Amino acid sequence: MRTVLKKILTAMRGGVNELGEAVVDGQGNRILEQELRDSEHELKQAKQELAALMAESASLARQIRSEQDSASKREQDARKAIAAGQEDLAREVAERIVGHERRGAELTQTRELLQQRIAGLKERVQRAEKQLADYRRELQVVKTNERVLRTTAQIDTNINSQQSSLSTAKETLERIRERQAREEDRQTASATLEKELTGADLDEKLKAAGIDGEQDAVNSVLARLKDSPAQ
Amino acid sequence: MDIQTLTLALGDSTHTGRTFDVMPISGDEPVLQVTVSGAEETPVYLTVTDTQILCLVYLFDEQELNPERLNELHENMLRISVPMPLSALGKTGDHYVVYGALSPTSGTAEIMQELVTLAENAIDLLQTFEDYLA
Repeated sequence: MRTVLKKILTAMRGGVNELGEAVVDGQGNRILEQELRDSEHELKQAKQELAALMAESASLARQIRSEQDSASKREQDARKAIAAGQEDLAREVAERIVGHERRGAELTQTRELLQQRIAGLKERVQRAEKQLADYRRELQVVKTNERVLRTTAQIDTNINSQQSSLSTAKETLERIRERQAREEDRQTASATLEKELTGADLDEKLKAAGIDGEQDAVNSVLARLKDSPAQ
Repeated sequence: MDIQTLTLALGDSTHTGRTFDVMPISGDEPVLQVTVSGAEETPVYLTVTDTQILCLVYLFDEQELNPERLNELHENMLRISVPMPLSALGKTGDHYVVYGALSPTSGTAEIMQELVTLAENAIDLLQTFEDYLA
């Protein structure tokens, strides 16, 4: 990932992208896509192998258990033969027990080796999955970058064909200011209209001229109270 | 979400009192120019890829800026980019842009929210960084 990001930055500083050229060229993209497919393939194979090994290990475990069961069953037989004084029969059974135990030990050894291979393979699967995620992320960055460059190139071409040139930030700011001023005027106008409709503007004018209806009312109440003092 | 569906949806919709004027930009890539009412000066360009819906507004070009104050501007752009809602600042070619990326599974409501926010942010940013223009 680091390599891809560095490549993109280097190419951009060099101004390669001005015309919307692909920064990591199509060839690079194809290599990345091929790596992605290889990784996917390896992962699939490793998983299949892992599944087969795990099945084999389970089967071995079953066989080991079966040998152990047989051995312990024969041990009981041997004890019974000894108790019955059948020494020869007991010896024959003991030979069988040795056979079971030996096969059990061999199978256990095989299974241990298998378990080691399984552990190794699991690690390989995990590595491949991580690698795959890395490649996907890289490819996404490269593709998005190309897309942004192609898109902006397309926008620029379009704007240039409609207008003489892309409008500058200063022109845009000027238009923003004009619109904001228009909006302000409209708000002031509607506030004025509102006042006219409610008569608030007239009240304001009267107040400015020292004629305050509210104040007059208070004064007249006070005058009335003074005229009829408390008895 | 694809460009055609979005074109139809935006043309008929309003979001927080805003309407949208949609114009396809001709070329190989599916690109829309969306003008948001009340923020007409800063059209938003929108493109849909496999992994995201990318919306961007051009702020200014490198050659429009005062070269002596470029570092200061970059520092301020980086700082303001974090708290700004739904938008980030970036540069593509010579264009400084404010942009937002959405999941391709976003609905029209989320996209409209993004478009309105982006267009308004672009105006605020232009006015904020006006002093850095040459």
